[in-house]
Amino acid sequence: MADQGGFSFDLCKRNEFMEARGMKGPGFTKTGTTIAGVIFKDGVVLGADTRSTAGTTVADKNCEKIHYIAPNIYCCGAGTAADTENVTGMVASQLELHRYATGTQSRVITSMTLLKSHLFKYQGHVSAALVLGGVDFRGPHLFTVYPHGSTDSLPFCTMGSGSLNAMAVFESGYKDDMTKEEAMDLVARAIRSGIFNDLGSGSNVDLCVITKEGVDYKRNHEFLQGKPYERQFPQKFATGSVPVVRERVFDVRRAVTVVEGEPMEMEG
Amino acid sequence: MAASLPMRATVPAAGSGVKQHASWSPYDDNGGTVVAVAGDDYCVVAASTRMSTGYSILTRNKSKILTFNPKCLIASAGMQADMETLHKVLHSRHVTYQFNHRRPMGCQAMAQLLSNTLYHKRFFPYYTFNLCAGLDEQGRGAVYTYDAIGSYERVGYGCQGSGKELIQPVLDNQLKAASPLVLPAQQWLSSLPLEQAVDLVKGAFVSAGERDIYTGDDVEILILTKDGIRTDKLELKRD
Amino acid sequence: MMKLRVPLLDGPSTSAAADPCGLQSLGVGGALVDSFPLPPVQDLDSFEREVVEYVKPNHGTTTLGFIFQGGVIIAVDSRASQGSYISSQTVKKVIEINPYLLGTMAGGAADCQFWERNLGRQCRLYELSNGKRITVRGASKLLANTMFSYRGMGLSMGTMVAGWDEAGPGLYYVDSDGQRTKGQLFSVGSGSLYAYGVLDEGFKWDLSVEEAIELGQRSIYHATFRDAASGGTVSVYHVTQEGWTKVRGEDVGELHFKYYPQPERHPCNSVDPLAA
Repeated sequence: MADQGGFSFDLCKRNEFMEARGMKGPGFTKTGTTIAGVIFKDGVVLGADTRSTAGTTVADKNCEKIHYIAPNIYCCGAGTAADTENVTGMVASQLELHRYATGTQSRVITSMTLLKSHLFKYQGHVSAALVLGGVDFRGPHLFTVYPHGSTDSLPFCTMGSGSLNAMAVFESGYKDDMTKEEAMDLVARAIRSGIFNDLGSGSNVDLCVITKEGVDYKRNHEFLQGKPYERQFPQKFATGSVPVVRERVFDVRRAVTVVEGEPMEMEG
Repeated sequence: MAASLPMRATVPAAGSGVKQHASWSPYDDNGGTVVAVAGDDYCVVAASTRMSTGYSILTRNKSKILTFNPKCLIASAGMQADMETLHKVLHSRHVTYQFNHRRPMGCQAMAQLLSNTLYHKRFFPYYTFNLCAGLDEQGRGAVYTYDAIGSYERVGYGCQGSGKELIQPVLDNQLKAASPLVLPAQQWLSSLPLEQAVDLVKGAFVSAGERDIYTGDDVEILILTKDGIRTDKLELKRD
Repeated sequence: MMKLRVPLLDGPSTSAAADPCGLQSLGVGGALVDSFPLPPVQDLDSFEREVVEYVKPNHGTTTLGFIFQGGVIIAVDSRASQGSYISSQTVKKVIEINPYLLGTMAGGAADCQFWERNLGRQCRLYELSNGKRITVRGASKLLANTMFSYRGMGLSMGTMVAGWDEAGPGLYYVDSDGQRTKGQLFSVGSGSLYAYGVLDEGFKWDLSVEEAIELGQRSIYHATFRDAASGGTVSVYHVTQEGWTKVRGEDVGELHFKYYPQPERHPCNSVDPLAA
């Protein structure tokens, strides 16, 4: 087979075989997530929670799940953290090069096609579930992209472990041609329902409002709960409470030699 | 081996014995954390009230503590169905004990009874992680910790459940005293004033609530002293 | 499964005659030995293996015991772990069966605790019906018979029964396979090989009592140094004609500085290339 670059999935069959025999493979970070998006009168609103989990522990209490694709396009990611970050990054860079070449604004459908063709090629092994939204010369667009490469174009959509909670809010509250404020309120409510009812989602609400005029990325649009309790007898660790057993000073320069190097050649 | 079979959890297939799905398991982890701290003349017991399965919250208000009498209670984390069964068994044993002995069961007796009850199901364990807490004959705080099949030990403070790894080191750092095994014997019970112990427990739960997805909503706190049981509540984050 | 039917040596049976005190119906000393409920599964082996994943029983230990001219020495650590989590540093791994008998604990903590408590009850019943103390030989046989009757059910226990009777000092190894061996020197548990190394090197019959206690303590300390599943406090017991006494209880952290007052000179430390 011709060497075409990219990832090698040769060992997938072997791993499947070994797992069937009882071997346990190494795990990777799958973020429980609530992400959602909605189309309103003159744009789209994307929303996401900010919790990242590793198993049952919270790994990051305030992470960013709304990724940049193009100046007029953003994308919420659920699934394996590494996959969502890298797949959106790859598409973002391809679109940037494309804009340099053509000098025109990127279209949402172009980014959607790039994402789905990449994901389809890897048959679901790149586990990224995305909510893609943006505004181009044709108007606002909203897509969901599934890990296997299928897509939907919808007026409102949700993804992640909290998708059912968020969708419940959308189904009851969505109407056509909402104002920006109505749309932001609806998305925030949908994300909040994921945050409070889905254990994989939590912390704060991030919003991203995209209109013809530009992008309003509202990081931590809603900061939901601070610390619920302040210690009455806070523990103070006095300096010197750990005794210094011994002290030793050594000269690093005796063991390390510093050599002045030539600056690297950079081709223009 | 003459072993009595409990009620079947699966419907037996027609014809021969028990048949079941290959990946069927009788256990589920419903999460939750319980903590107990013993002092010179008190015992603080706290339990989170969230009950979950997988990524879903089943209820935000489930008590994990069973109080037998003003000097003895147990707190259990793990699987709710087994906890309920265990509490029912122990409650009925405690009622019977009172009929026979005309007095409530002491903490030490309950500790041994809980151990025996857990070991009784050695080959089909209760999926529960327990603390037995209360006041001993001398009125000092007593805490006993268990594994799921009944090995137990009296300690100065204990923690069980999904937030165990987050809370136990905090308690160790603040309360660890000399081992009860050292010779010559040394004081091994914590001697923190009651208000500070309650504050410490609350602080520990707040931290666990930040990082453990199964610990949240509310914490019910029971404070046992010679004057009886006082209850307190702490609200945690609900996400 | 076949069961031996030797009165008294068989442990509590379901017949009323073998339970003159009616202790079982009171639940004293534990559950009815014959009535542990089994799960409704066909493949008990894999069920029990799965259960271990869920409930993670307490495990991990170093224990040792030996007979010398001055009696029996028993030394143990005090750590219990559940997988990689240290669940306790203060476990009492010497179970005081009666003033003349000791049992040690290795393997499943609950199994050891429960069955050695049960053994204590059987030994007391023996005393009441025979008017004399049970021998170490008899006590260890009681335990071994119980273990044999549960063979293959997944119990996990490696214990030493030590004591003093009319025949002098006694030391037996009993485990959950039903094996029972009389001996002069044993070490049991995950750190046992480390303990054997020090113990075999230092053991002599003529050791003084003080030297023997020191050897026991030193062996456990070195096992805790190399075995991650052993640690906490080293406890040493001495058994003589007058019964057992606890003679040592020291934290392994303290012992480290006792044996190696200058930690940087410890032979385990590599040479620091930056050191002057």
